[in-house]
Amino acid sequence: MQKNSIRIVLTTVLLGIFLVGFSLWAALKPADAASDAERRTLAQMPALTGQSLLSGTFADRFEDYATDQFPLRDEFRTLKALTATGLLRQRDNNGLYRVGEHLAKLEYPMSLQSIDHAADRFEALYDTYLKDSGSRVYFSLIPDKNYFMAASNGYPSIDYEAFAGALKARLTNMQYIDIFDLLELEDYYRTDAHWRQERIQDVAARLADAMGVTLTGSYTQKTLEKPFYGVYYGQAALPIAPEPMSYLTGGAIDTATVYNYETDTTGSIYNAEKAAGRDPYEMFLSGSVSLLRIDNPQNTSGRRLVVFRDSFGSSIAPLLVEGYSTVTLVDIRYLASNRLGNYIDFTDCDVLFLYSTGVLNHSDTLK
Amino acid sequence: MLFSSIPFLYYFLPLTLLCYFLAPRRAKNAVLLFFSLIFYAWGEPKYVLFMVASILQGYLFGRLVEKYRTKNPRRSKLFLTASVLFSLLLLGYCKYTDFFISSVNAVTGLSIPLLRIALPIGISFYTFQILSYVVDVSRGTVAAQRNLIDLGTYIAMFPQLIAGPIVRYADIEPQLRERRSTPEMIAAGTQRFVLGLAKKVLIANVLYQLITTYKATTEPSVLFGWMYAVAYLLHIYFDFSGYSDMAIGLGKIFGFTFAENFNYPYISRSITEFWRRWHMSLGSWFRDYVYIPMGGNRVPPLRRYLNILVVWMLTGLWHGADWNFVLWGLFFAVFLMLEKAFLLKPLQKLPVISHIYTLLLVTVSFVLFDSSRLSEAFLQLGRMFGAGGVPLYTGEALYYLGSYAVTFIIAIIGATPYPTRWMQKLSAGERTGRVMAVAAPVVLLLLLAVVTAYLVDGSFNPFLYFRF
Repeated sequence: MQKNSIRIVLTTVLLGIFLVGFSLWAALKPADAASDAERRTLAQMPALTGQSLLSGTFADRFEDYATDQFPLRDEFRTLKALTATGLLRQRDNNGLYRVGEHLAKLEYPMSLQSIDHAADRFEALYDTYLKDSGSRVYFSLIPDKNYFMAASNGYPSIDYEAFAGALKARLTNMQYIDIFDLLELEDYYRTDAHWRQERIQDVAARLADAMGVTLTGSYTQKTLEKPFYGVYYGQAALPIAPEPMSYLTGGAIDTATVYNYETDTTGSIYNAEKAAGRDPYEMFLSGSVSLLRIDNPQNTSGRRLVVFRDSFGSSIAPLLVEGYSTVTLVDIRYLASNRLGNYIDFTDCDVLFLYSTGVLNHSDTLK
Repeated sequence: MLFSSIPFLYYFLPLTLLCYFLAPRRAKNAVLLFFSLIFYAWGEPKYVLFMVASILQGYLFGRLVEKYRTKNPRRSKLFLTASVLFSLLLLGYCKYTDFFISSVNAVTGLSIPLLRIALPIGISFYTFQILSYVVDVSRGTVAAQRNLIDLGTYIAMFPQLIAGPIVRYADIEPQLRERRSTPEMIAAGTQRFVLGLAKKVLIANVLYQLITTYKATTEPSVLFGWMYAVAYLLHIYFDFSGYSDMAIGLGKIFGFTFAENFNYPYISRSITEFWRRWHMSLGSWFRDYVYIPMGGNRVPPLRRYLNILVVWMLTGLWHGADWNFVLWGLFFAVFLMLEKAFLLKPLQKLPVISHIYTLLLVTVSFVLFDSSRLSEAFLQLGRMFGAGGVPLYTGEALYYLGSYAVTFIIAIIGATPYPTRWMQKLSAGERTGRVMAVAAPVVLLLLLAVVTAYLVDGSFNPFLYFRF
């Protein structure tokens, strides 16, 4: 009888306090504007109107608000991740998995359709701007982290050789520059998809060498004071220590200017404001910008490089600047290809298509 | 609104409980009805009109059926027919119009445009509750409810509104008049609710992620096909029975005792037994309001088999307006008839084989249930048996088998009565009982925290009942 009473009291009190406590906390807590860990703005309390109530949009938005603004949201997300991976022994959490201190997102299966779409876009660019331009055209493929982490740890993995082979078979007008052998897992951030600028100088040298340019610059490595939590950190919600983010300075990098076609402004290679922001990787060439031109006053050869790129290009392009008078960076995920002729002169220049496997395996964003 | 959502758990439920327990006894049903209508209107306010109309017609016709039951039975029958027609036409219009049109189009080659009528959530459940109420009044087994709020509470009560169990008015009528929420009931109801919530969020939803992965795969294999089928078998049980647990638990907190809806169906050793353990409130509804009125077992064998076919075709249709549901119902009808005719006795003598036989048939049936088209069902069943040259396994299948192995094991053990028996045994012991008195509430608290974590993470939270 006593046992039963204890159980009744404990069940009612413990669960009642939890439920009512979090209810009150949720109701009284001021709404946060954004989540640093998830790198996104959080839903706010929707306006209550007759129309929104009757159409059901208030209910939908309130659900988003209640979930986004729930007290201890980050801690609860970590609890979920630990339950999934620790208790239920699921090998990934929301498609992200951990090997040692590295996080990666499952990239599987290989999409031949997506590779074909990317190749179609690149061929169309070649036919429109490059075929008769006298330019030298190259392409290179950046392996995503799964190349180093997946197969060897029992995770589904795409066949990277077949991936590169499928592209090479299509892009016969371009010279392929293989950089796979220069990279290893430690060249990538632990909690992010991207590579570390301070560890890819050899990659930059090989790309430059293949394009007939020699890089001799020596740089000084600097480190941001703020610890770096990559994009996977927030998505995985697993407790992983941050790491330092470094960047290279000196030589052409310090004197180069960057013209942003979107904002019609000129700045420098590294954006200090972005370095202190939600995604410090955006410090490299200010992050996602559709069209940029880097002018290097130290190189008066007149040699030009156009790089069709994704976000990996932001951190390696500064290392290529030394060899060129101008380096133009184009991201056709944000800019329609048919408008490029208005901005870029493709005559007699080096053109490099530099993309990560992750982007090319989901290439529907390429315009 | 879903039980497994932050707005329900941390906004709606605490507010409802607060108002309910603060309200004087006479006003409790009104409070419950008020919050039930808000619960129903949340997200789909216009459909609350259907429900209110259904409540009003049930109330009105119930009174009229009773009034003329002895004085003028013909008129009473007329009112009964009117009420039944109202309910069935509303359900038919909302749920079966497009099914009917597309079937006519398929047979005649016509192109009658579909009406694309959205299905009000829970309409199949509350329609059946109203039907049983009016029929029971007509049979004289219950008195017509004079209090509109009490009848509205019976029909619209949010714990069982959108996913059952289908509550009989006869069972609940005394509780509508007089009930008490004792500390024992509140604690037991809380425990049942949290366990149901955990079944839904931590097992059913997790398994549904695997099902979604399977459906998106470009590399089918025999192993992956079976993993999908077993995952769906377990998912649908934990989803549906979890929701029933939540409903029964909430009912208990409010002082109601709802009938059980599931009784470990996967330990059954025949299809007959399976349907005595699966969605019991629906099975007994069809038995009492369709099968027995058609003559039940008291008719010649051929007629009896016809009755079984009709009941199971309707059972299939109740689950969804598509031919795969009809076929799903008839699939069970065939095996129920075979068991009635000769199969049941030999099965009873072969416990292991009968268990495998039942699980295999139920697994196959749920593949049919989950398919949007018959061709998809046959494709899937074919893959499970290696048709079309699919490989035995792929690296992807092995990965997901490893990734979901613990969930499968927990779900398989959880689908048997053993965990409950172990808990009862531990609770009954002198020393272990004392530990359990403290440990059980703490485990429940941890479960609620983890469920909250899954909901906050925005994890997959499908709603299975939209077509019921």
